Amino acid sequence: MSGQRHATVVAACTLALTLTPLIGVFEGLGWTFPVLLTITVVAVTGSLMRAAGRGQGLQTLAMAGGLVVVLTAGFGGGTGLLLIIPTPGTFEHWADLAAQGVAAIITQVPPVDPEGGILFLTLLGVGMVAILHDMFVVGLRTPALAGLTLLTMYLVPVSVAPDATAWFWFILPAVAYLWILADDNLRRVSAFGHRFTGTGQLVGQRFPSPMARTARWSAAGFIVTTLVALAVIPTNTSGFLDRVAQDFEGGGDAGLGDVNPWAQLSGSLHRPEEVEVLRVTTDDPNPRYLRMHVLDELNNGGFEPNEYAAGDSIDALDMPEDAQIYEAQIENLQLEAPVVPVYGTPVSLDIEGDWAIDADTGVIVGDDADMGEVDAYTLNYVDPAFDAETLASAGGMDVEDPRWEANTAHPDLPQLSEIVDREIGEGTVHEKVLAALDFLSVSNGFRYSLETGDAGNDEAILDFLETKQGYCQQYAAAMAWMLRDADVAARVVIGMSQGERDGTEWVLTSHDYHAWVEVYYEGPGWVTYDPTPSMGVPGSVTFPWATEPTAPADDPTADAGISAEPTPGSETPSAGAAEDPSEALAEGEPADDPAAQSEEDGAFGFDPAWLALLLLAAVPFVPALWRGAVRRSRLDPKRLTAQTAWDEAIDLAHDYGVALAESLTPRQAAGVLAQAAPGGREAAATLGSAMSRYRYSPKGADATGLADAVKDLHAELAKCAEPRQKYRAVFWPASLLAKLSAGQAEQSARLARRSARTADRVRGALRRPRRSNGRRDRSVTGRP
Amino acid sequence: MTFESSPVQQQGPAPLSPQEFKATVEAILTNVEWVIEGKSHTIRLALAVMLAEGHLLLEDVPGVGKTQLAKALARSVDCSVRRIQFTPDLLPSDVTGVSIFDPEKRDFVFKPGAIFGNLILGDEINRASPKTQAALLECMEERQVTVDGNTYKLRGPFMVIATQNPVEMEGTYPLPEAQRDRFAARLAIGYPDVNAELALLDRREEYNPLDALRPVADAEMIVRMIAAARAVHLAPELKRYVVDLVAATRSNAQVRLGASPRATLQLLRCTQVLAAMDGRDFALPDDVQQLAVPVLAHRLIPTTETTMGGGDTKAIVSDILRHVPVVSHPGRY
Repeated sequence: MSGQRHATVVAACTLALTLTPLIGVFEGLGWTFPVLLTITVVAVTGSLMRAAGRGQGLQTLAMAGGLVVVLTAGFGGGTGLLLIIPTPGTFEHWADLAAQGVAAIITQVPPVDPEGGILFLTLLGVGMVAILHDMFVVGLRTPALAGLTLLTMYLVPVSVAPDATAWFWFILPAVAYLWILADDNLRRVSAFGHRFTGTGQLVGQRFPSPMARTARWSAAGFIVTTLVALAVIPTNTSGFLDRVAQDFEGGGDAGLGDVNPWAQLSGSLHRPEEVEVLRVTTDDPNPRYLRMHVLDELNNGGFEPNEYAAGDSIDALDMPEDAQIYEAQIENLQLEAPVVPVYGTPVSLDIEGDWAIDADTGVIVGDDADMGEVDAYTLNYVDPAFDAETLASAGGMDVEDPRWEANTAHPDLPQLSEIVDREIGEGTVHEKVLAALDFLSVSNGFRYSLETGDAGNDEAILDFLETKQGYCQQYAAAMAWMLRDADVAARVVIGMSQGERDGTEWVLTSHDYHAWVEVYYEGPGWVTYDPTPSMGVPGSVTFPWATEPTAPADDPTADAGISAEPTPGSETPSAGAAEDPSEALAEGEPADDPAAQSEEDGAFGFDPAWLALLLLAAVPFVPALWRGAVRRSRLDPKRLTAQTAWDEAIDLAHDYGVALAESLTPRQAAGVLAQAAPGGREAAATLGSAMSRYRYSPKGADATGLADAVKDLHAELAKCAEPRQKYRAVFWPASLLAKLSAGQAEQSARLARRSARTADRVRGALRRPRRSNGRRDRSVTGRP
Repeated sequence: MTFESSPVQQQGPAPLSPQEFKATVEAILTNVEWVIEGKSHTIRLALAVMLAEGHLLLEDVPGVGKTQLAKALARSVDCSVRRIQFTPDLLPSDVTGVSIFDPEKRDFVFKPGAIFGNLILGDEINRASPKTQAALLECMEERQVTVDGNTYKLRGPFMVIATQNPVEMEGTYPLPEAQRDRFAARLAIGYPDVNAELALLDRREEYNPLDALRPVADAEMIVRMIAAARAVHLAPELKRYVVDLVAATRSNAQVRLGASPRATLQLLRCTQVLAAMDGRDFALPDDVQQLAVPVLAHRLIPTTETTMGGGDTKAIVSDILRHVPVVSHPGRY
């Protein structure tokens, strides 16, 4: 392989390596084929132009042309001529696609489906970078500059999805860059002929320079120094090393301890392995959520827990007279937290340590106590039950209420206010809550996804509202925020969902951490709502009051408090009545779900243009395949004769550039073949004499062993041929082309003869009336 | 020795097997090569001409062994050998024979000439006058002699081996076309290489190897060999190739007169012999190519331009060999 071609291959490979971080950006691997195809096409066109001895300008133009063809084939939308040549319509189509792509980039959260505008923009970008890259590495031979293109390529996934891009992906672009530099250096060394040793001693190209060791040690030293420096010098917190550290810690068994509740939530949900946190034995047939933290302070950074003020002791919990009281014995396996998880409204709590009640939120807070020191505790509680009618008629928090300010405060977010005005508008508190639930439902395109970042700040919430992808943190925060914007007192609660039943116990694992919303109604007090789609939350619970009020006569939700059932395999108690739309759709047929449908089409779309491109890509291999088929049919034992074997041998000679005149007898031709491939002398002689006998002897020739002779000859010819000749023999077999052109020549000759005859006839027909006498006279003489 | 007409080929004994054929050929070749060192190819072709019932014209500079070859070939076969030294005063009757008056019988009696033999060595044939050369025409082609209205058949095998010197032209009469065409092949012997010449010196120090030569075949054997060679298979493709070659000499721009159909026939006969000598029962184009120059070149008459330009007919035939496809349909070899 020539140096340039080698460099082209290296350039293409390095670029492909650099693209691996895109794995984090796209859903699935459907994007790899078009991307690799684009790189290949650009590289091949560039290489061809170089082989043809064209300058850099024409090379770049040709590569751009190749890119346009690929894009037309993939994204022509049927506007391309022959599916691959762009027309003005194609460019219009592309403009639309680009606009879609830009919109998608803004709205979607990685991983995105590799389709439509985004894929178009990706291929366009990759193609243009590939052209630059090829130009730097091969054309201009400034491989150091190729670092820029590689960096550009690496920045795309990093900037689009910093979280989705794992730190170790950086290794591949780095390796790619080193490869380019090393390869170029090797080319230079090869051109010089010897390695530079520094000692005046010359070392052959194939042996490492004595200086290589020094270079390796200095490189290692630099890397270590850099890493140490990065670790010591304070840099921005989301730096490279931080992420490394985080990734390593994430796998450890660190406790779910005294941290920011949000971090605890997202950390637990993202834990790869599921660990049991609590085991609950209760007489409540359907325990609801275990409440831990209440987050009621909202600023631009999102909801945060207020400073808990240890108020009354837990002994002050009073026992209501007429309510169903459940008892729960909770065994602590893992939990470390300064708060006690409790169900519903606790009425008594038997727990070790000093615990107090936070007056504002009802959270049981440790006064120097921590759940880490508690092995088990017993809880008596009332499960508050509401019905839609009560809530519908109840008002919101009184503006005069001292808690009003704290529970409705929110930063001014115009975009969010706009959504709230549009989606929630005016009405009673219950109407506003239902509107918010409606808005966040699956039917409105919201999808549960743990892949999004764990941010809960204003931007993250706006992103969530636009991209409609997130998990309970975003759902709860968004709903509470929207309600606060609509002047409803609301707060976020973090705790644990119902968990999973294990015999008589309920097992709550690290994946059961959950966040939901509480809304204040004048009268009923704080009422729980869960905007997160139940399919995303294992052990989620339906809250029957989250519906429109129905006629009181046949209201089945009267004792909904006890009849609330776990989602899996259950119907909501208000069967037949309007259900939580998100529920209904989440459990409905996937075909009804636009999100699911788009996911189905999400795989790399099949387009006839791709097929055309694939066929086009296969075109270079057609001669090789055809030639192989011809060879197989000739050497097929059923119809193998000395003639077919000989034909094959002659064609092989033709392929490998061995000139055989037509005036050579088979033996002479065999001699020429033997000269071209000395190792195949015997095979050639066998074939030649078999052919002689076949053609000239009355007895014919025995065909046994001829197929092997042909194979031997082939192998020897290939062995003796130059690499270039060998590739040509495989991919551009001269025999085939000669046959084609011979056939064409024959056909055109036949055509010419026919047309000449026709012309003669026409001419004759035209002349006959006038010159018939003359013709007859002349024909008598015998000479026309 | 009888001179009655005797149709030889028809009643000859059974043909030889390929093995016998080859063995006999090897014996004759070894014998002749004992005399003419380092010229096995020429000797082979000469023998082939003999077994193809053709006549041989040896044309070369003096002293390279033309006569030696002819004599060695003749001695290796036990048959009647006649020698005619063609001199300018040689008369046709010296060749064919003459009727003289026998006083005892009171009648004219035919005295057969030198031509009545199996192998006729015609030395320096171009020194005889054209009328004497012309006396050979009938004998060579029709294998009979007509004198005074009586036709006498010649006994087979019958072969004329003539020699001539191409360089020394003074006092010579070049063979006319008709005469040349009757020779199946024209061979040149050429100078021996160094080793062959050294061997020649060694061998001839004490005696002339020609004198020690003993016949290894007889006339009957030659007749059987001729019959065996005629049985060699000629594939249609091969015949077509030969016809193409001959046709090419006729259409060649450098040639005024091309080869005759007789040339075609003789080329094929020689081809058969060469194949048989190789132990094959079928002929190959390789055989044809070996023979094309000897068989065709001397029959062609080049154009004046070619002659003036220094071209010769051997080069023309070689050129034709390089261009005529072995198989007439294109794309095949």
